Amino acid sequence: MKIGIYPGCCFQGADIHNYDITVNFLENMGVEWVLLDKAACCGGGVIDETNKKIVYGLNARNIALAEEKGVDLYTPCNTCYMVIARTKLALDSDPKLKDKINELLAEEGLEYKGEAKIYHTLNLIRDFIGLENYKSKIKRKLSAKVAPYYGCHVLAPNETAIDDPENPTLLREILEPLGVEIIEGYKNEMTCCGYHARFTDPEQKERLAVKPLEGAKEAGAELVATPCPLCHKAMDGYEEPILQVTQLINLACGNSEKEAHLDFNKTKVNLKLS
Amino acid sequence: MKKIKYTARIKRYDPDTNKSYFQDFEVEVEDSLTVLELLMYIKDKIDSTLTFRAFCRSAICGSCAMIINGRAGLACKIQAKDKIKNGVITIEPLNHLPVVRDLVVDQEPAFNKLKKVKPYLVPDPKVVPDNTKVESLVLPEEFKRYDKQTDCILCMACYGQCNALEGDEKYLGPFQLVKAFRFIMDTRDGVDVEERIKLVEDHGIWDCVQCQMCLAACPKGIAPCDDILELRRIAKDTGEENIATRRAKFWFATVYETGQIDKFHLPEVAFGDERGKEITKKLEEEFKSRGMSEDEFAPKPFEGIEKFRNFIKKLEKEL
Repeated sequence: MKIGIYPGCCFQGADIHNYDITVNFLENMGVEWVLLDKAACCGGGVIDETNKKIVYGLNARNIALAEEKGVDLYTPCNTCYMVIARTKLALDSDPKLKDKINELLAEEGLEYKGEAKIYHTLNLIRDFIGLENYKSKIKRKLSAKVAPYYGCHVLAPNETAIDDPENPTLLREILEPLGVEIIEGYKNEMTCCGYHARFTDPEQKERLAVKPLEGAKEAGAELVATPCPLCHKAMDGYEEPILQVTQLINLACGNSEKEAHLDFNKTKVNLKLS
Repeated sequence: MKKIKYTARIKRYDPDTNKSYFQDFEVEVEDSLTVLELLMYIKDKIDSTLTFRAFCRSAICGSCAMIINGRAGLACKIQAKDKIKNGVITIEPLNHLPVVRDLVVDQEPAFNKLKKVKPYLVPDPKVVPDNTKVESLVLPEEFKRYDKQTDCILCMACYGQCNALEGDEKYLGPFQLVKAFRFIMDTRDGVDVEERIKLVEDHGIWDCVQCQMCLAACPKGIAPCDDILELRRIAKDTGEENIATRRAKFWFATVYETGQIDKFHLPEVAFGDERGKEITKKLEEEFKSRGMSEDEFAPKPFEGIEKFRNFIKKLEKEL
């Protein structure tokens, strides 16, 4: 069981601790990993504004780097997951595009074969680690009322959705074994965090980010849990605290609050650990 | 034919009392019904006051878009049995539009926004001949650029699912922007691209949050979110300069240089003012407090970056 960690922008700069969180998560799960150290930005829905074809090329290359190492690709980021998975769909359904990109990849000695799977934390736990195996790694229980927040890009578009987009249950299935009480059906639980408007219309991002948080608070949640580092970044710093699911998992697997990087959360979280 | 039992949970609205509520209808019906046929069954057999808009039953007139289990779609195109979750199917009117009664929304506000983007062809006299007996030729490869977009049936499913409208009710909307893109791409159109771009900027292309929900909602497989990125590209390439275009240029430039975006300098460059400088300065303080050295602030090129840059150049030219 070995996986290739895809390093996106959520692993650098002010978010560098996300790399630690990810590595700790994999080690807690007993998953061997290798860093795809020559991987490049997925495009993040921004390089499309320069040239969409470059996005196909970048991600064909990212997947080829995993294939070169004989591993599947794993990213904790909803957006990287969706962008890379959408590229994979485009390449696998268009042999001409695939062949042309492979011609260009040859200079680096790479080839996109289409064999590597694309994993995000949610389907990694379900399909790669296995839910039963996952549960067996949990050493202690967390006590809190937690509102799951999926973020858009693991549920849309339908072709790359990780769970049933209308009635997703996977995040609940992952959080419940941690001992937390799940608060679902809260107002705006499917509303976008607005992250991708940060540098196109910053006010739009501000208006959106707070909506799911307020809904969760109203419903009695003590904190929101999201798998996505970008949703986390967009929604951290308001009244209601938000954590990444992997932070909670790492705590339940015995990591200290420091190892789980709770210290980098802008809105502080009080968690009872047993 | 097999019959199945389930609950149809329908959002009702009565304008006379201004009351909005969910009503459960227990049904035992053939398992082959579409959501629209289910609604027609309820109206026929249980409650004749149930109100919804529908016409062709063939996913072409675009009348019956509604929210089914939280996702927008055409009632006539969706099989009811696929949507039963724990014995219940939930049906609501489209979001972001005033409800007239039950599942019927007032489409006028969305059509008024559509009108703002000049949603029609203004013939370019250089391309479209005066003589109606002569055909105005559009080559297949030219038509391919907006072929998909012409499939739009104005059902408003994308509009009812749009997250940008959650944050800004004045937002133009996904299908409106698809229409704008379609006419910019049309070789017969005589309106200057700059003029068409101006029509989609105010509460438009820069407000989109790229959530992909419009793509998930469209019964015709159109991707408004992708067309919006194309409109942003066109705006940038026609000389528009704002926070978003500065961000897009810087993003691509730093990925080309190092493989990764430089998130440290991004706020300073994108905002292009004191606000951006302040964000970057705060980041600097934060990094220093974490004991990071200055050369760790921005990404460094990985080994063999020259070949990567070459790859990008070739993608731009040859693909």
